Amino acid sequence: MTKFSLLAVFAALGFTAAAHAEPATYALDPSHSFASWEIPHFGTSTNRGRFNKTSGTVTLDKAAKTGSLDVTVDTTSLDTGTAAFTKHISSEEMLNVAAFPTAHLVADKFIFAGDKVTEIDGNLTLLGKTNPVVLKATNYNCYMSPMVKREVCGGDFDMMITRSQYGVSYGLNYGFPDTMRVVIQVEAIKQ
Amino acid sequence: MKPSSNKPSRAVLRAALAALCASSGFAPALAQSVPGSITYQLDPNHTFVTFEVQHFGTSTLRGRIGPVRGEVAIDRSAKSGDLRLRIPVTTLDTGMRALDARLKQPDLLATAEYPEAYFVATRFRFDDAGGVKEVRGEFTLRGVGEPLSLVARSFACRHDEMLRRDVCGGDFEADLKRSRFGATLGEPFVGDDVHLLIQVEGIAP
Repeated sequence: MTKFSLLAVFAALGFTAAAHAEPATYALDPSHSFASWEIPHFGTSTNRGRFNKTSGTVTLDKAAKTGSLDVTVDTTSLDTGTAAFTKHISSEEMLNVAAFPTAHLVADKFIFAGDKVTEIDGNLTLLGKTNPVVLKATNYNCYMSPMVKREVCGGDFDMMITRSQYGVSYGLNYGFPDTMRVVIQVEAIKQ
Repeated sequence: MKPSSNKPSRAVLRAALAALCASSGFAPALAQSVPGSITYQLDPNHTFVTFEVQHFGTSTLRGRIGPVRGEVAIDRSAKSGDLRLRIPVTTLDTGMRALDARLKQPDLLATAEYPEAYFVATRFRFDDAGGVKEVRGEFTLRGVGEPLSLVARSFACRHDEMLRRDVCGGDFEADLKRSRFGATLGEPFVGDDVHLLIQVEGIAP
């Protein structure tokens, strides 16, 4: 191999490495980023609640197919549509939002299928306790937003959490399940 | 809630409701009480509609409307039912006030002119155990009536120890196209297909 072609190979490798080394940062769009939860009510219907304030950042390296995120949910923004229910869940018996006003999700393992993120593995800190969580994508897409004139990436994710792991054991003894589904809408704007 | 003597009787409330409905141009017959049927009043703490619509083919925009008011009469032996819902569209809540205000404008839900949506249904399908499987009727939104089918994802009855009443309910789902009701703003970036998740519980007398 000649010196010239070796240089060309190194240049090509260097170029690829440079592309890998430039992950883009995306900021969560609070108007399209919400975490909601579902829990069965005495085996009859499903109770739902939503946190109205979520913020954070995501880094994506599309070439390397890697990513990370750091997201904070304001637990005081809980909203069930029924004031008494919201108040009870926010109380010391459950989310104790006065003492723990935020939940925190960090992740650095993004799993891709082609160009699309299909799963994110991370850690959720709630009520001061940290446990691993798996977010499964049910939708994922990137688009050029005509509103903000930047690229937006996002989707819908589901995650199952075991609430007793975070110390929320209220109602387990009369039939409210320990495992509950969290439904996440997220869109993040390229910075 | 306990009945008390200084509150109007149910008959008076019904008459008042009927008068209100008639004066607003909406005059539904109240759910028929016939022998064998039980009329359940919807529990405002556990009766909500959540709508879902795709945003730029990327994520799902959700909003909650409720509590939904109304009643349902079910006759399990005759396998029949009669459902009357009043859906307060003005309570729309996406978690973001600016978006709520936009969705209430005349070119979308037009809540000033049409503060309520209605669902009236008498076509009930039951499973072998007597549970409701599907309810078909007419959904009226923005003054436009269209057929709508509510399919049960779950349905169950229980004796509620706190209410000391029988409670029946479940989770229902329905799909509609908002363009059929004249609410097309934002299409195609915001989807035409709207998926409804309906939590409902009804309390027996």
